[in-house]
Amino acid sequence: MALHSAIKGKLISVIGDEDTCVGFLLGGIGEINKNRHPNFMVVDKNTAVSEIEDCFKRFLKRDDIDIILINQNYAELIRHVIDAHTSPVPAVLEIPSKDHPYDASKDSILRRARGMFNPEDLVR
Amino acid sequence: MSTQKIEKEAASQLLDSLYLDMFHLIEDHTQSRINIERTNASGAILLARTRFQQGGNNSVSVAQIPTKNSTEFNALCRVVSASDEKNGNEISIERHAVEKSTGYVEPLNWFSVLPPMSLRQAASTFKDCIELLAESANLQRQLDAIINNISSMKQFIIKQ
Repeated sequence: MALHSAIKGKLISVIGDEDTCVGFLLGGIGEINKNRHPNFMVVDKNTAVSEIEDCFKRFLKRDDIDIILINQNYAELIRHVIDAHTSPVPAVLEIPSKDHPYDASKDSILRRARGMFNPEDLVR
Repeated sequence: MSTQKIEKEAASQLLDSLYLDMFHLIEDHTQSRINIERTNASGAILLARTRFQQGGNNSVSVAQIPTKNSTEFNALCRVVSASDEKNGNEISIERHAVEKSTGYVEPLNWFSVLPPMSLRQAASTFKDCIELLAESANLQRQLDAIINNISSMKQFIIKQ
């Protein structure tokens, strides 16, 4: 089946807990391409940090992804990889989850912005 | 010497305006994340209500969503960039109509043949959340560009 030929626009991918993934898939962002690569990853308590990291790196390499959504609590686990990604595409959006509210002090972009005032706080 | 002084003053003024823009963007960015959090929480409550009504935690879970072994399908919503003069390089969300023959399947049908009202409302809430995400991504890119400009301007002033 050649379902993916000449499709306009790019994808939104998601790495998150069950509710985040189910919710955004209900919203219509989910896709499984012809190589059987999904654009989502459900993280549970048994998922290893290395798996999250590998999946995130895989999403970064894909040229059909424009936005990567990741729950902030999982972004914290792979902070070094997220901080190393400086390109505006794909944009990495740290989103809150059901159990972990949004914490602006942990957000990569806001930490960079804060670094504009305090050079000591600048992490990279 | 005097030209250098004028240049430095102009650069400092530009730096001030960049900082001001950055403040506004930080405020908008934080506000947009709060809106996302609120919408996300409403969606999660509706998912929980569906589970409660259908009796069981597995009625709406990862068990129903497609896996690597499922048939390929396309995303209903995609990010398109409106690279015109008015919007710059801003992105927006474009939705495709459900059309099973071309791989655009209705996600609600993964969970139930006759989806309950709460699940439909949850889907609608998450669709709104996706629009907010596009807005947030635009703000984040603008903020990133401003931060890079401030860094370059600081380097320029130091060199002077």
